[in-house]
Amino acid sequence: MKRLSWFTGIHALIAKIIVMALLDALMVSMFFTAYHKKSTPIELAIGIIFLLLNYVYFSKRTMPMKFLTPGIILMVLFILVPVVYTVAMSFFNFQTGNLGTKQGAITSILQDGLTPDSNNTQYDMTIGSLDGKTTVLLTNPATKISYVGNAQTSTVLAPGTFTVAKNGDAVGYPQFTPYTADQFANLGDQISALKVPIPGENGFAEPQTENSAALFTEEYSYDSQKDQLTNTQTGQVYTNNGNGNFALSTDKAKLLYPGWKSYNGFSNYLHLFDDAAVRGPFIGVFIWTICFSFITVLMMFAVGLMLAIILDRKIGLKRFYRSILILPYAIPSLMSILVWKGMFQTQFGAINGLFGTHIDFLDSTWMARGVVLIVNLWLGFPYFYLISSGALQSVPAELSEAASIDGASPFQILRQIKLPLVLQILSPLLIASFAFNFNNFNLIYLLTGGGPANVLAGKTAGATDILITYTYKTAFNGTTSNFGLASAISMVIFFIIGGLSLWSIRRANVLDNNS
Amino acid sequence: MSTLKPTVTKKRINKGNILSHAFVWVFILFTLFPIYIVIESSFNNGGALSTNSLIPSGWSWINFKTLFHDPSVPFMRWMFNSIVLASANAIISVFIGGAAAFAFSRMKFRGRKTGLQALLLVQVFPSFLAIAAIYVMMDSVYSVFPKLGIGSMGGLLLIYLGGSMGVNIWLLRGYINTIPMELDEAARIDGASTSQVYWLIFFPLAAPVLAVTALLAFIGTFNEFILASLFLTNVDQRTVAVGLESFIGAALGQNWGPFAAGSLLASIPLVILFLSLQRFIIGGLTQGATKG
Repeated sequence: MKRLSWFTGIHALIAKIIVMALLDALMVSMFFTAYHKKSTPIELAIGIIFLLLNYVYFSKRTMPMKFLTPGIILMVLFILVPVVYTVAMSFFNFQTGNLGTKQGAITSILQDGLTPDSNNTQYDMTIGSLDGKTTVLLTNPATKISYVGNAQTSTVLAPGTFTVAKNGDAVGYPQFTPYTADQFANLGDQISALKVPIPGENGFAEPQTENSAALFTEEYSYDSQKDQLTNTQTGQVYTNNGNGNFALSTDKAKLLYPGWKSYNGFSNYLHLFDDAAVRGPFIGVFIWTICFSFITVLMMFAVGLMLAIILDRKIGLKRFYRSILILPYAIPSLMSILVWKGMFQTQFGAINGLFGTHIDFLDSTWMARGVVLIVNLWLGFPYFYLISSGALQSVPAELSEAASIDGASPFQILRQIKLPLVLQILSPLLIASFAFNFNNFNLIYLLTGGGPANVLAGKTAGATDILITYTYKTAFNGTTSNFGLASAISMVIFFIIGGLSLWSIRRANVLDNNS
Repeated sequence: MSTLKPTVTKKRINKGNILSHAFVWVFILFTLFPIYIVIESSFNNGGALSTNSLIPSGWSWINFKTLFHDPSVPFMRWMFNSIVLASANAIISVFIGGAAAFAFSRMKFRGRKTGLQALLLVQVFPSFLAIAAIYVMMDSVYSVFPKLGIGSMGGLLLIYLGGSMGVNIWLLRGYINTIPMELDEAARIDGASTSQVYWLIFFPLAAPVLAVTALLAFIGTFNEFILASLFLTNVDQRTVAVGLESFIGAALGQNWGPFAAGSLLASIPLVILFLSLQRFIIGGLTQGATKG
């Protein structure tokens, strides 16, 4: 009890205060960084964690929470929040071309539609401030007309109201103070975004250098009242389609890009069933996922059970067999998958080398599927062997002895007494294994990459793709990422796996209660 | 018992015995085939994977030398990254998960049952299903804290910790329930506080189960690919899994030898760890199974 008493009272308290002080200092500094970068969700998260930790560890009435809080914080941040976010994303049009905000999309469309006017009009410019606003004095060297203007408006200068330089440029105006070089440098961003409307021109003068500007015409103009864009050349009107894009009013299929991330209800889910381009691959992948998980578990279980039955008897070299057969379970599966991939390679692969063939195993739909099943058998049968032999040994010896006295043959004992019991014991693990293989990302992604896929036909889903690899490809496909659709597929997987697992747990509980 | 059996059955058993041995041997060979190929390729002096005969043509250390000296394949760095990530995940998981599991197993509090049910749901949910959300989330964390967002090992570690916490707590709670309560009750009667019971009585008692959970977390991290490949883009940051995958993906024929050597080196420590702790791991597996 000496060690016990050392860690009581003052020592423990001091240790706790030091640790908490350090944590608090860290969180406060992180909070201010987040505040400085204007990231509200992160500020909020840090603030809540800060209050929670200090309450839990300094209050005397929170004993269980002292043990639970760190785990809960991690689970909330990295499981609950992503799941909630996934649910939310599945209701959004959130893909390449629709990633940002609406304001960003409008700015980008206006910017992209900006072209130098057909005459390539240039202005000499003096930039400064007037009434506290950034103001430019512009002179068109060709026409000798001068303007004074800011971001909102500009007017033609009447001769005599302004100071003229030798070349005829306007360089001074009452109350106007030119910027110094320092001021100009400091206001860089503001100046490069400046657009000065020019009277009589369909466009804006934009500063190009310290003392020149050029005339740009806008292809689109935005009307914030009507929330629509108008093509200034053709007069075509693009209205907000409520789905994250501006669409041509006469042909809704013609969209302006970029769009923005926008709520679109159940569209992503509906796409899975009513959009032929999405539905085709999705249904195919879905069927293969179920077939693959079912067949692979069946194969692994059959082999594992057979081995367990054989090695359950007194057989020579039993320990030797056992120690070799569990090797695939001990080797990191990732390494094994990559090695198998190499072995099935066409030119250099050990399997083609062994038989002197040049078979392109991973390039044919059915062979690739066979390879996936064989490799997963190698990876998985040791686990089933282990759990089957554990289950076989747990069958009470009295049962088989009684049966054998009644005249049952060993085979009958096995089939009619042991196997049903083993199956009952193992069924939760079989369901768990089905759920695991349903999402066996590493196997598929590393072995076949989901392929073979007809990439030339623009298909992302390959013959061995399962839902989880298809989701991954949908979300991170380089050129066209669709986070919204990927999230919707994730939700479908979640309901299947979650439902299956809950059902299995319920069943197990029922068994427990009966026994 | 065998004396009671008629001779006919005995003959059938003998026949069956031969078939049984044959079946076992088929799977022994199936098991050993890739292992043999990897060992053979590691020490083979040709780079290519082609083994027209199963007899090695000559052996050398050249593949291992490539791994250690070629700057484009920082294998030791990858191993180091993997070991750091996996160890950190294993140790922190066990400390945080162990504490929560202790609370669920030994304490009475309001919301305990609801908490357990929630935990059950959480541990069913594979966290990488939310991978797109995690990516977008960590991308925005990156813009505020570059050291915790995309591209950082710290951020990846946090995701591993959070993602596996449900399973770990669930697993640990199952183990902890089997540790008899008498000892911590005795300490409590002697006047120990809850945290003293936890640190001084319970923690040493639970050491073996904590070690097994840590090992499983270690192996899990070592085998993790999807998040690591998405997160760690820099060559020097890669884990051994991501590193070797990209290495063999670049040019399989040319890189096969060093790759085989690398996967051999990366596997050996884990296989040794696993085999030395297999009694506990398999005990846990079959316990889970027989509990049904």
